[in-house]
Amino acid sequence: MYNTIKALRANGVIGINERNVKYVNALNPRKLLVRVDDKFLTKQIVAPAGIATPELYGVIKDARDMKRLPEFISHPDGFVIKPAQGSQGKGIIVVEGPLKGGWRLSSGRRIDLDTMKFQINNMLSGMYSLGGQPDKALIEYRVKFDDVFGKISYRGVPDIRVIVVKGIPVFGMLRLPTAESDGKANLHKGGVGCGVDLATGKTMRAMQHDQFIDIHPDTAHPLEDIQTPYWDDILLMAAKCYEVTELGYIGVDVVLDREKGPLLLELNARPGISIQIANRKGLGFVLDKAMKLGDEKRSPEERVALSKTLSDSAPVKPAMIEPQGA
Amino acid sequence: MKIKLRHAVILGFALIAAGLSIFVLKAAVLHYPLTPGVRATLWDFELFLEFDGRNEPARIEAFVPATDVERAFPQEEFYNGSFGLSLVAEPQTRNRKAVWTYRYPANRKVLRYAAQTLGETKSTPLPLSFREAGPGPVPFEADPVKRQAFIVWSGNLRQRSADDRSFADLAIAETFGERTGSEQYADEISALLDERTGDAGRLELVRQLLRSQGVPARIAGGVYLAEARRRVETHRWLEYHVDGEDFRYFPDGEPARFFTIWYGTAPMIQADGVDNLDAQIALRALETSATAIAENAPGPLGSMARTFGFSGLPLTTQLVYQVLITIPVGITMLVFMRQFIGFKTLGTFMPVLIGIAFRETALLNGVLLFSLLIAFGLALRFYLERLQLLLVPRLAVVLIFIVMMMAGFAILMAETNQAMGLSISLFPMVILTMTIERMSIVWEENSASEAIKQGIGSLAVAAITYLAMTNSQIEYLMYRFPELLLVLMGLCVLMGRYTGLRLSELWRFKALAG
Repeated sequence: MYNTIKALRANGVIGINERNVKYVNALNPRKLLVRVDDKFLTKQIVAPAGIATPELYGVIKDARDMKRLPEFISHPDGFVIKPAQGSQGKGIIVVEGPLKGGWRLSSGRRIDLDTMKFQINNMLSGMYSLGGQPDKALIEYRVKFDDVFGKISYRGVPDIRVIVVKGIPVFGMLRLPTAESDGKANLHKGGVGCGVDLATGKTMRAMQHDQFIDIHPDTAHPLEDIQTPYWDDILLMAAKCYEVTELGYIGVDVVLDREKGPLLLELNARPGISIQIANRKGLGFVLDKAMKLGDEKRSPEERVALSKTLSDSAPVKPAMIEPQGA
Repeated sequence: MKIKLRHAVILGFALIAAGLSIFVLKAAVLHYPLTPGVRATLWDFELFLEFDGRNEPARIEAFVPATDVERAFPQEEFYNGSFGLSLVAEPQTRNRKAVWTYRYPANRKVLRYAAQTLGETKSTPLPLSFREAGPGPVPFEADPVKRQAFIVWSGNLRQRSADDRSFADLAIAETFGERTGSEQYADEISALLDERTGDAGRLELVRQLLRSQGVPARIAGGVYLAEARRRVETHRWLEYHVDGEDFRYFPDGEPARFFTIWYGTAPMIQADGVDNLDAQIALRALETSATAIAENAPGPLGSMARTFGFSGLPLTTQLVYQVLITIPVGITMLVFMRQFIGFKTLGTFMPVLIGIAFRETALLNGVLLFSLLIAFGLALRFYLERLQLLLVPRLAVVLIFIVMMMAGFAILMAETNQAMGLSISLFPMVILTMTIERMSIVWEENSASEAIKQGIGSLAVAAITYLAMTNSQIEYLMYRFPELLLVLMGLCVLMGRYTGLRLSELWRFKALAG
């Protein structure tokens, strides 16, 4: 056991305790958290910075807004209903289009208006929000995802998670839905995570259920060496989120739309640490570097350039990324 | 960052140090026992004086034990009859004297003094004044013959000894040794000793020898706490302090426990103007709990410990706190299991609350009932999901259902004469309801296996905390030493800054350790 601890330390692997104490608690002031916890607010504050988000069709706050639901959802291309304060993708309804007087869900099931209203009511009464506070339901554009990841996704929408420390992107990961994860890209539900090289935007090797894998479990397509389109735009978008939110440690979730390019899906003030397994190295050393570099004043573009120098393209042995080298 | 870390670490260790030092103080100085049910012997000491009045002014003086801080005696009583009582303290000798007076007593009169004591042992320290440098050597005052003998003998003792300690040993050996008349200084010793005064005179001689060398020494008188009986004799012994060590010399054999009443060579009781004085000392042994004795410890320290203890509260409140004070132990264990091991539980403190509920049901029944209630509650919850009820009414339905289930269990069990059903009533219904709600969300959003995993994790933590919270040793320690709460608080502060990996993360990131 001691050897395991030593090996993990040498690889810079950080645990939840360290993430919470050294990064989340230290860099994310509690009073600013509402900016990322409330997705409605997030949408509003990132727009002036030129960060694109899925178009908002409507917000439901109470029973009166509920009357306008048919108007909000009159989009034949489908739409997404999500609780404004939901976390880990909980409570999200993805509707693909009309079906026999009701609507077709991304899972293939049919949903009628009453069920939809019931689920929205659940959202409003705080079933998915932290501490059960009353919540809002957002109805927005359903992303038509780029085919580039089509061969390595099974239903649902793949998204890209970038960890940003003091405005410097440090780790990237492509999250792919699988049959097991039911079309959701969440890793703890069985989604696949692929490390993405910050410098090039190419995928590296991957993981599922905290284990290394090389091919997608459903499509059997190799996961390595796929170029992410708009990679620099994605990094810039992620870097800009620092100015907007003033949070020093965030996970930026971006999805690629076939027509609109990268769209900011949501921000997360407590991004998970499984990204270390997807990247096959610990966050520790890069975080240390970024913590030092992040205190100097730089523009988002400069920070993106900086982020590409932080780590090498291949999964590295710790000796090559000594923190003293920075 | 660094400053906050240092601050937290200092605070954590300061809390732990404060708690532990009060704990050690109470355990070592006030002799609070560390395990429940420790017994100790308390002695009832009684001085009983009976005499005939002569119809003339009477004055009876008796030494009574000085109320030293170092000695525990919970209560003392005087029975004076019609006599006037005055207590005279003699700071010089540290004695206390009871003086009973009456102008014209007639007939048989009785006076009584009673006290309770734990007694002293050989390791009871001598007063601090012995430790400080004494007033220096005190010359021997007597007629020239005795003085000559004293000087010759003490000078020779000094020659034959290496230091004060061997001097004292030698002086005692020669004074108390059987004299055959053939010793070198037999003449000097017999000149100095008046055989009629017995051991008291010999002790006084040794005391003067020691004082002439500048060694602090005194003669103490008291009783040996060996057996309970009436008409206990008083004994005298010598107390002296050499080379930083306390010594006691008992000419009548060493007692295990004794009770010092007075110091000096004066007789214990002196009576004027009365006839047929009969003075008796009676001892009676009382078996009591050591805790009760510790809680009645005298002095400022004892009263402080009493003030911050629970014994002053009404009994029902005491019983409540006996349970409450163990909860922080469970909470601290929960923190440890979450931060260091990485147990996944439903709700933050839910397992501890379930653990408290297990107090009433005992472990096995508690686990069974808990699982049953959760299972039925979950089934109902999934059924309600289909009715599409709003969140709060749905929670209310589940809660009402749980109360019904509990009542049903109680009635069913009562009919089959099972006592376990009756104990269920204290199960925290609200907590169960929230547990069911959380579990069903995990069930739907993640998976059934994840929900069951978290449920079992919660149950395991509840069982562990229950075992800790009901452990009689832990319960006793927390209840008698509430300052241990500071230690627990300090531990939690320190755990709050723990940034290392959790045990479960070693497993999770195993792939990265290669």
